[in-house]
Amino acid sequence: MIVSMRQSTLQTLGLGTVLEIFKKHQLPANSSNLVDQVFGANDNRGSLVISGANGIVGAGKAMQLGSRLEAFGVPIVGLDFPGTPDGIGNQFPGLVEAFGAENAQKIMANIIRLNYNGKNLPKELKELKPRFLLEAIPEILEIKKAHYKLFRESFPGVEIRSVTSGFPSSELGVGIAHPAFPHEINKVWEVVEPEPSNITKLLWSLGLIPVPVSDHWSFVLDVLFCGITLAGLRYHQATNMPYWKIDKYIRKFIGPNPFRAHDVIGAKGANFLTWSCLHHLGNNYGELFIPTLDLTERKETGQDWYPPDHFRPMVNWRLDDDESDDFLSWTLGPLFQMTSILLHEQRGNLSNINAIGELCAQFRSGIIATIRDIGADSTIKRVASYHKLHPVAASTAWYPEVFEKMNDPEWQQLYVNAEHDGKVGVITISRESYNHDVDSELNRAIDWLKKEGIHNVIVTGDFHLATQMVGADTSDFFPALENVDEGDRVASTWSLTARRLHNEFKVSVGYINGKRCMGGFLELLIHCHYLVTTDEVKLGMPEVTLPVVPGMEGCHWPFRKTIPENWPKLLKLLLVGNQVKAIDTTGWLCDYTGTQEEALEKVWKLANEEDHGLKLRKVVDTALEGIPTDVQLPASDNEGMETARKVIMETIKDSCSVSLSEALSKQSKHSANFMISKHCKTGTIGTVFNQVMNI
Amino acid sequence: MTKEKIMFPKARIPYGTWGSSYFPAWQTSALAEINIGQFAGEAMNKIMGMKKVPKTELEYLVIGSTIPWHWKFWNAPMVASCMGHRIPGFHLEQACATGLQAIIHAASEVEGGSSDVVGVLTFDRTSDSPVGVFPERRAYRRTEAIADVWDNFGFDPATGNSMLITAGLAARKYKIDREEVDDLTFHRYKQYFDTIDSGWLDNILIPLEVLNIQGRFLGLINEDTGVRRLSRASLRAQRELDTCITPGSQTHAADGMATLLVTGIEKAKELSTRPEIDIQFVGKTELRVGPSYMPEAPALAVKKLLDRTGLSMDDMLVVKNHNPFAVNDVIFAKVMNYDWHKMNNTGSSLVYGHPQGPTLTRTVIEALEEAVTLGGGYVLVFGCAAGDVGIASIFKVTEGGKKL
Repeated sequence: MIVSMRQSTLQTLGLGTVLEIFKKHQLPANSSNLVDQVFGANDNRGSLVISGANGIVGAGKAMQLGSRLEAFGVPIVGLDFPGTPDGIGNQFPGLVEAFGAENAQKIMANIIRLNYNGKNLPKELKELKPRFLLEAIPEILEIKKAHYKLFRESFPGVEIRSVTSGFPSSELGVGIAHPAFPHEINKVWEVVEPEPSNITKLLWSLGLIPVPVSDHWSFVLDVLFCGITLAGLRYHQATNMPYWKIDKYIRKFIGPNPFRAHDVIGAKGANFLTWSCLHHLGNNYGELFIPTLDLTERKETGQDWYPPDHFRPMVNWRLDDDESDDFLSWTLGPLFQMTSILLHEQRGNLSNINAIGELCAQFRSGIIATIRDIGADSTIKRVASYHKLHPVAASTAWYPEVFEKMNDPEWQQLYVNAEHDGKVGVITISRESYNHDVDSELNRAIDWLKKEGIHNVIVTGDFHLATQMVGADTSDFFPALENVDEGDRVASTWSLTARRLHNEFKVSVGYINGKRCMGGFLELLIHCHYLVTTDEVKLGMPEVTLPVVPGMEGCHWPFRKTIPENWPKLLKLLLVGNQVKAIDTTGWLCDYTGTQEEALEKVWKLANEEDHGLKLRKVVDTALEGIPTDVQLPASDNEGMETARKVIMETIKDSCSVSLSEALSKQSKHSANFMISKHCKTGTIGTVFNQVMNI
Repeated sequence: MTKEKIMFPKARIPYGTWGSSYFPAWQTSALAEINIGQFAGEAMNKIMGMKKVPKTELEYLVIGSTIPWHWKFWNAPMVASCMGHRIPGFHLEQACATGLQAIIHAASEVEGGSSDVVGVLTFDRTSDSPVGVFPERRAYRRTEAIADVWDNFGFDPATGNSMLITAGLAARKYKIDREEVDDLTFHRYKQYFDTIDSGWLDNILIPLEVLNIQGRFLGLINEDTGVRRLSRASLRAQRELDTCITPGSQTHAADGMATLLVTGIEKAKELSTRPEIDIQFVGKTELRVGPSYMPEAPALAVKKLLDRTGLSMDDMLVVKNHNPFAVNDVIFAKVMNYDWHKMNNTGSSLVYGHPQGPTLTRTVIEALEEAVTLGGGYVLVFGCAAGDVGIASIFKVTEGGKKL
């Protein structure tokens, strides 16, 4: 029996547990089989029809799905009105950039564009055997319903999903597959259906991120994104602060810049969608969601929220501490109230809801993590403050009692889950960048497995929400730019967590699939006794390019695990910052790479201490001698990078020349000292800090 | 004895719904580098926000400026767009009387019933004033190019004289004594710096941070840059440019903006930070004096206004003059038999500078604030304008019809 801290998000898709993936040495869904099931067998393959294919959503999804389904011989039919501006053709340059000219041409050649008049489907469609209609037409209920009727009459049995962001499935009479902007590349789809369907599983198997949500007016993403937009509008109404400046403060305190996002998406369409969602939410829930007059006006005019270039803002606005607190009440207050409604209605798994904010709405921390961070009492007080500022919002439902469950594992383990079968445990991480939340949750997961008596552990991604591991969340470093102690604290705390993987388990195996594993996450996983990856994974330590000095023992731990002949390779990895293919790092970074199935099997054997054929690379705990210093590196004209190289080299020498027990503090101090240097402050992290926080 | 009639019975200035930028001297601040129309629109929005007035309350905008600015063709609607509120409005211009004239015309909009909340926004940038090129076939040079500020100051086409000459002529006409002019100037500087030092102006003058095109800091407009403390001796030592006129006893060009609201009676109560205060328009007049005697025009305008309203200088609680030349105040005191020490208490344009359009708006704001501070009463604001014109207006500040 498999026991877990909380339900895995994979289970919400009907795809079982992560542990079963390792146990069975295979993924729970296979694209080829699912394509057959959704579109018919190879000799009778049907097509995917996207209606409204020239729109922002339709064209984006034609690219995203077209690039994935072309290899399976599934034709993509782009259906739209004649005279609609060419949205699909505009995608071609992006396609070339992503896939190369030859592949881009193949993908485009597989897209068949047909016109129709809205009443009769083109004759040619029958030949193409539509099996799955993805409807992306305007948000007008009667038009949508008529469209489904037309398809169902012409093609009985066709599967239909609407991309709607407002109408519930119960109103439309079809399932929902609501994607997130930017539609070409954002992998998240909110899905509404009674049970996870083959379409949903197919999306997952194609590397996308379907997230089940319940059937209500407007889905989680829209409640959050339209909600924060509305909060900004209400603040504007109350204070006159221009939209552009409100955007900067929302970005500073919460993460998104909703007004810029509307303009980038295209104000005409985005304003209407936001208004439409809020309008329906307002009708169903009340004043909390009622759109403001300026939004109502702009859904008609399509006017941008930012001023045009020739009127770039001239008079600055700044908030003092009291005003900042009011700002937080105006913005977080309604978001918290809205979130209480989402939780009361059980709109979805908490990790999923939390991830939607981060992956689709630019939240720096997901809304659930934000609420957890400030605690139930402060959350309730913040909503009360909002109701004082905007009393009519108090007439809408508000469920403070949902925060009473904050100590439950569902709340406490948003990013890190743990499962075990009595012998082997699996720790899954669903966040692509490592931050203080992941660190705390990872510690709790380790504690839980130990309490459960588990000595062998696999540490990996979650096979769902995180499709890569990009390293540390650099926003966690912002305080360290001014405070050397804070840098030291972050580096040493995170390093101690990483060491637990090495010290507190009999066997620990890091497993990496997906696209890449970089920086802090790579430093974390090399602390496992074994590191296994798929062949195609890219690994890298890009810190030198930012520049920062690695803080989680990357400057000595891998040196202690490999023979001196491999040290120049590690030096190059650290001092150049380029990515390398995992298959080329066997023996000095990875212990094994293979196909997905081979790698999964190897991990399972390692974790079960079966005959796996690998030799444990032990960590040398005494001082290392002979670290080379004359590595030939490509010259850089970046002063910051050159300085970082020197400091990283010093860090390597200092932390390798002492015992393992002393090395941690050596490295964290070097990392912290560099963080307050001018090179870090003027580098990527400092620049982002200045743009986002110093406003 | 008072027997005044109220000029606009339905119009009010809601107390506190006003503000002004500082007036940095020309070429000394970030304002020298920007489109002053855009700046004024954005600054008004911010000032109204600070005064808790949602901009959506505004129905109409009267703007006033005297120097052409980029996209002036688009007039008040453009400035309103920069404020972030798409309302109609119009542009008004009467040289240095603009700042008062705009307020009066806003009141007439309210009085006439066409709008209930009218914004007044006056502004100018004298720095780097534009050069107009005028094809003139009858002119000797066929095409005339005029630098808007300095060439106009230097030449009144109706008389052929400069502004400076009008001051000298008027000083000679009234036999003004240079020593009195210096004494008055010294006193005006003292009044200004005493007020600045007391912090009393902090509620009126709003510091504004100006951004460059990249959105980065360009400059902070937080003082009347260029105004220095002067001693009597230094004033005495200055060379006369004309009779009684020295560099120290005349104003200087500046950049800036000022804004206030004019509303109906009920709206004033709703928008004001102190709804119990009632600010009414009692009367206004203008007149034009003989060629090149501009500095006597304000005094004569006040005389005319007092005659019309039946009020006297003794009725006036606050008296404020836009005084580009110190001789203006001396002549006023002589004509009206009034002690010039009692007027311009919180400062005057002689000292803090003269950006033209907003000068008299700031003067009105300071005067009304002073009246509230002093407990209420009549407020007399007046000044001169190009073309030998004088303008004067009286406001009444009360609480519920009674003196505060």
